Amino acid sequence: MKISLNPQKILFLTAGLLILSAIAFVALRSGPLAPVMVTVEKVKEGNFHAELFGIGTVEARRSWMIGPTAAGRVLSVKVDVGERVTKGQLLAEMDPVDLDQRMASLDASLDKAASAQTAASAQQKDAMARLDLATSNMQRNQDLADKNFISPGALEARAQEKISALAMIQVAAANTKSAGQELTRLKAERAALQQQRVNVRLLSPVDGVVTTRDAEAGSTVVAGQPVLRLIDPASLWIKLRIDQGRSAGLVPHLKAQISLRSQAQDRFEGQVERIEILSDSITEERIAMVSFTRSPMGISVGEMAEVTLQLPVSAKAISVPNASLHQQGLTTGVWRMVAGKPVFAAVRTGASSLDGQVQILEGLQADQEIVVYSQKTLNADSHVQVTPSLVKPQTRQSAAP
Amino acid sequence: MINLAGRDILHSWQKFVFTGIGLGLLIGVTLTMAGVYRGMVDDARALLTNSGADLWVVQKDTQGPYAESSSLKDDWVRSMLGMPGVMRASNVTYFTMQVKRASQDVRAMVVGGEPLSPGWPSHLLAGRHITRGHYESVADIKTGFSVGDQIQIRRQFYKVVGITQRMVSSGGDPMVFISLKDAQEAQFLKDNDAILNERVRTASNPLFNRPSVPGLLEAIQASQTSSHNVNAVLVQIHPDEQPEQVAQPIRRWKHLEVFTREGMEEILVAKLIATSAKQIGMFLVILAIVSAAIVAFIIYTMTLGKIREIAVLKLIGTRNTTIAWMIMQQALGLGVIGFFVGKVSATFWAPIFPKFVLLETADALSGFGVTMVICALASTLAIRVALQVDPAQAIGG
Amino acid sequence: MPVLDKTSSALPAVGGIVIEGLRKVYGQGDTAVEALKHVNMKVGPGEVVGLVGPSGSGKSTLLKCLGAIIEPTAGRMTLGGQVIYDNGWKITDLRTLRRDSIGFVFQAPYLIPFLDVTDNVALLPMLAGEPNGLARQRAWELLSALDVAHRAKAQPSELSGGEQQRVSIARALANRPPVILADEPTAPLDSERALAVMKILNAMAQQAQTAIIVVTHDEKIIPTFKRIYHIRDGQTIEEKGEGRALD
Repeated sequence: MKISLNPQKILFLTAGLLILSAIAFVALRSGPLAPVMVTVEKVKEGNFHAELFGIGTVEARRSWMIGPTAAGRVLSVKVDVGERVTKGQLLAEMDPVDLDQRMASLDASLDKAASAQTAASAQQKDAMARLDLATSNMQRNQDLADKNFISPGALEARAQEKISALAMIQVAAANTKSAGQELTRLKAERAALQQQRVNVRLLSPVDGVVTTRDAEAGSTVVAGQPVLRLIDPASLWIKLRIDQGRSAGLVPHLKAQISLRSQAQDRFEGQVERIEILSDSITEERIAMVSFTRSPMGISVGEMAEVTLQLPVSAKAISVPNASLHQQGLTTGVWRMVAGKPVFAAVRTGASSLDGQVQILEGLQADQEIVVYSQKTLNADSHVQVTPSLVKPQTRQSAAP
Repeated sequence: MINLAGRDILHSWQKFVFTGIGLGLLIGVTLTMAGVYRGMVDDARALLTNSGADLWVVQKDTQGPYAESSSLKDDWVRSMLGMPGVMRASNVTYFTMQVKRASQDVRAMVVGGEPLSPGWPSHLLAGRHITRGHYESVADIKTGFSVGDQIQIRRQFYKVVGITQRMVSSGGDPMVFISLKDAQEAQFLKDNDAILNERVRTASNPLFNRPSVPGLLEAIQASQTSSHNVNAVLVQIHPDEQPEQVAQPIRRWKHLEVFTREGMEEILVAKLIATSAKQIGMFLVILAIVSAAIVAFIIYTMTLGKIREIAVLKLIGTRNTTIAWMIMQQALGLGVIGFFVGKVSATFWAPIFPKFVLLETADALSGFGVTMVICALASTLAIRVALQVDPAQAIGG
Repeated sequence: MPVLDKTSSALPAVGGIVIEGLRKVYGQGDTAVEALKHVNMKVGPGEVVGLVGPSGSGKSTLLKCLGAIIEPTAGRMTLGGQVIYDNGWKITDLRTLRRDSIGFVFQAPYLIPFLDVTDNVALLPMLAGEPNGLARQRAWELLSALDVAHRAKAQPSELSGGEQQRVSIARALANRPPVILADEPTAPLDSERALAVMKILNAMAQQAQTAIIVVTHDEKIIPTFKRIYHIRDGQTIEEKGEGRALD
């Protein structure tokens, strides 16, 4: 059959070819026949900057709670939040209630006791005088009895008077002693009340700054409840929490870069003061205390801070981007490009830096080609095609850091 | 013998091609609808595959974490690691919310997890995985974010450090990955106003605010604002273990619900997508009927326009079967043109759809078969007309 | 004078048409209409006869019977020496009969618009099973004989009326039928062209020994017939025609 070509037929054939090529294009580009696009990089060798990162809150090293030791009512609070106070300064007073009146009552009792003491000594003197009389009477009567001028009965009476007088002296001595002890007791009671009176005045134990004012004049507080809280403003540091899994290399004296939430543009220097022995097992975090080299102005307790700790620069090490690491079962590894095909190579990883580089201890050599980004998960028989980038380059300006 | 149908098509090819294009667009819509359904199923499967898990451990008597909400304590993961057959286990949280970038809102599923653990993307398109424990994120390319963008989730700002692909929820929302602790805070922690409100309510409750127990109120308020819940624990089992064998002891002794891959697929595909599947199915049936009607109408009209020629052909001795075959061939030819136009246009406009449209080759082949059958059946109307033509019509009565 | 190639495998037509006592009744009982009462016709090979009659005379019914489109009620028909109907018995495959034994020339050319001129003519031989090459060869011969070979590759719509008519005549001749039925072939034509068409028909009839019946009421060509059948009220009357020469 002869095919005669007229313009119509040519047009038809061209259209048909176009459609067929469109279909072929479609079948090869998308769908199961299409290759997986990947990007590759060479394994880098160089100095490795490992860093640790954590979030912390600003705390005061020491803080004090000022409050009464017995339940009572607050009489007056003398200072307010933010004020600086000195050691021994009167901060607040509790209501003494009846302490003063009780002291007055005790004073009166003291006077009464002194009077009783005087009376007792006078009594003693009286008893002494009586004894003297009774003794001289006895002496005289004895003489008389010897000369039989008086009856024996009269002599006995005189003897008994002397004995009575002796007894009276003992009584008087005891009364005097008792009065003295009563005085001592009352004096001690007064001293106790005096102590309580002093306790009602709340004094500052250190130089510091008032952070909270928890009770006002007229409120009732129980023992142990704070009326005011103080901190030492020079002692602010950061309680830093670092993920346990990412805390390898955390030791004291590491240099720290601190960024406060309220002053996000500024960076402050600091260092690790102490690593806590007790970690948080619930949140799986280690706790470290980081102090400021120079205390910044205007920071507040409870503020959030982001802290980056610099670990010492390690010697030459090979590293790969963490995007190239994959897990197969329990093995970590990367996909190496060998003659255009991907091959899984198991590796042993070391430290990681905050910009996404991971140190490789075993399994790779420098300058080997590895797959970094891919459109799909790779497996041993994936058909891959290398391109420079899988995403369009950014045309937008991205926001600050 | 020459092909009469082919000659007729070549002779009035414009009409044919335009009709074919029209029919093709209709077929393209049909294929796309099927692709939407397949895309939904693939979204669900991609979600399950990309999580890298063999088992999903969720709250007892729930069908979570995707179809229903489920809440577990985050220390269950340690018990999981001790169960026989378990190779790796990790906590994950899922929460669908609006993620802001500058003034733009994107609906995304925020996932909390740990890099290189089950639930975290295994491959990236650009950037890196998160290295800091807080305030960094990896986003799917469907969100429209780029590396370096600052996005806002709840109260915190997160820096996008990596981009991934085809990480979507079962509903087709793109995923944003952040660290587990950040996600717990974002999901379970309320905004400032709500927290203040909560504090006041607690403080006004005399049970919690006891003056003789200093520190009680603060402790209660602190416990209200901390969260130690997760939505699920994802488990990977040893390669030589059976998922069901590993799942049974967990269900029995730990009193949790455990789903294997098949179970999750059934929940997502059969239950979650069921209504949409029915809708799409009905739509496909309607489209098929409409396509059949259009082909029938077009072929019928074209045949009516050829009544005279058909009468002549019959008169001069053409077989009825030859005439019928000519008409059916025209209908099939129309179907072929329409199908190719439809397939090509569906392939080109599928990526523009906001949801994932998956055009499978099997669907295309069965679509081709169905198109041919519909065209053949639709042509029977015109064939009936043609067969009933009286040859005497040519002799002008 | 156009001449058929003698080396072609043109067999002389055998037998012409013989009709005896043909009767056709439409409908049954009270509504029965006797369209043909008693028709006798005889046309020999190579003869060109006219069939003339007013409308309603049964002319179209007779034509349909001659064309093996409808079945008569009674009578006997012989076509090309073969009995095709005999009082109730009929040949089963009317379609093949029409294809191989009867050529049709219509009032209008009625060419198939989506086939070119050659294929329009070659269609019938192809339908009869001839290989395409041979069929097209035959078509070309006929087109040359009818002096339209230069339009062999054109589409029917590009031809003038007269050219189309000639192509339709070529088509009618393509399967070498023993009989050609021409239904008002000259109606739309002027006298010059009408006579030209009659000239061609006569020449073809001679060369291929085909029996040709021309149904017409065109006064321009009636004088050219040697014999004419008049039909009125379902009956035919033979008449000697003028037989004016065509040159």
